[in-house]
Amino acid sequence: MVVITTKKEVPEVLEALKDVNKVAIISCGTCAALCQTGGTDGLKYWADILEEKGYDIVIGAVIEDVCDNRVMKKEIRRMADEIAEADAILTASCGLGAQSILTVLSDKYPTKLVITANDTQFMGMTERIGRFYMRCQGCGDCLLNETGGICPIATCAKGLMNGPCGGMVDGKCEVGNYENDCGWVLIYERLKALGRLDLFTKLREPRDWSESGHQREVVFR
Amino acid sequence: MAYSKLGEMLEKGEFILTGELEPEKTCDLSHTIQEAKEMAPYVVAANVTDSPLGIVTINSLAASAIIQRETGLEIIWQQTVRDVNKLGLAGMIMGAHALGIRNVLSLTGDHTNLGDVKESKPVFDLDSATLVKLVREMVDKKSINGHEIECPPTLHVGAAANPNSNPMEAEALKIGRKAEAGVEFIQTQVVYDLDKTIEFLKAIRKYNVPILLGLFPMKSYGIAKGFDTFVPGVDVPKDVLAKWKRIKTDITDKKAQKEAYDQANYEFLKPFITELKSKKLLDGVHCMAVHYPRIFPKLVEVIKG
Ligand code: SF4
Ligand code: SF4
Repeated sequence: MVVITTKKEVPEVLEALKDVNKVAIISCGTCAALCQTGGTDGLKYWADILEEKGYDIVIGAVIEDVCDNRVMKKEIRRMADEIAEADAILTASCGLGAQSILTVLSDKYPTKLVITANDTQFMGMTERIGRFYMRCQGCGDCLLNETGGICPIATCAKGLMNGPCGGMVDGKCEVGNYENDCGWVLIYERLKALGRLDLFTKLREPRDWSESGHQREVVFR
Repeated sequence: MAYSKLGEMLEKGEFILTGELEPEKTCDLSHTIQEAKEMAPYVVAANVTDSPLGIVTINSLAASAIIQRETGLEIIWQQTVRDVNKLGLAGMIMGAHALGIRNVLSLTGDHTNLGDVKESKPVFDLDSATLVKLVREMVDKKSINGHEIECPPTLHVGAAANPNSNPMEAEALKIGRKAEAGVEFIQTQVVYDLDKTIEFLKAIRKYNVPILLGLFPMKSYGIAKGFDTFVPGVDVPKDVLAKWKRIKTDITDKKAQKEAYDQANYEFLKPFITELKSKKLLDGVHCMAVHYPRIFPKLVEVIKG
């Protein structure tokens, strides 16, 4: 699994950095590196842009697993002087990485700016570098065992529990100009092949949002 | 128990003709009201659409209530699950009853992405089957999630089906789910292909839900051509298109041309409906000829006998 990110437009990032001068760049060497938004690619990309615009780059670091608070605690300690000097930290990571940095920094530097350079898209399945697909939205109540292993929440444009809808034409979905497969037809075909149309015929209850419509956490120790 | 004229006819098994009204992006319903008045003598009830294609129009419940009040024509309020969550839908169902609406058609609704307010959040908390179930729970059990409704709504609930659907079996099985949810009638998408229609209707007959077949009498060659080109998954047969084209090019007198179109619709639909009726596959017809109310007397002829 990879958290898929894309680069933000440069003016948007510059706007967020407009009142600062000294910037530390933290580029994530894990998922974002795979998406070429982080790692050495992302670091070089943003360092070049900021330098050209006259920013003072106090440090640029590629760090693996920026989303892990334990990692970031250690790394921030190692870069203590530069972090102290920087007006802002530009993070070429996903939204989890950006907030992991913020979490770790907040005790010592409660007002240090953390600016994100990326847009986080989704948890992605990788076909190859540059081709990632959303196949799960982390709904918290997995249906795959009932739907032939195909997720209706991620593959149906409406996230329906009882599809296909009237927007399906010849197995294709109305969203995206009939170019994408209808998730519910995929489910139908798979269940038919498995001899489990009984599962397809089942009337499914709506998703229960009572546990997942707000902040979620998993704590097991 | 029947709560409406439509409900009564469903109960008695009488052949039903319903129409369709499409309010537009305006707060002034006078055109739609005029159309409703013209079709009122011929139909049992008429649907009022809910921002089709995701293009925002006046709210369908408000329009339904006003048209019904102003014209006396019974309304089948189309309610989609696109824009409102379960909590909101339940409130609207009670509101509909309070406004005098007694029929609702449960629809998924076209995705926000197709329309003119693409940035809207697509809701789809329920789907068309679970909305049917919600209505039936509120009406029959007089409750929501086991919580009693002091004065419960009384509405008949219908749903849609698409005989043109491919794969057809997936669509047919889906009607099974809607039947399980308690749907009281089905209105189908527009059909032109008799063999496909027969196959589909046979496949869903076992669910014992009354079926109103969707028809789209075509007012002009332009409309026929547009329908054929722009409505995905529906093809107007080539010979029908050719006939409509001949009427457009060969008949210049406007009045004679109108009569020729009306007659052509009759000649196409009469054998189609007669065949399906003789096979006992139909309980009625749902006519979606929006802005073509003058066709209704002819449609009454089509379904007679
Ligand atoms: S049902 Fe879909 S979104 Fe939910 S956990 Fe399973 S794969 Fe993920
Ligand atoms: S066409 Fe299929 S994938 Fe698209 S919204 Fe409808 S059910 Fe979902």
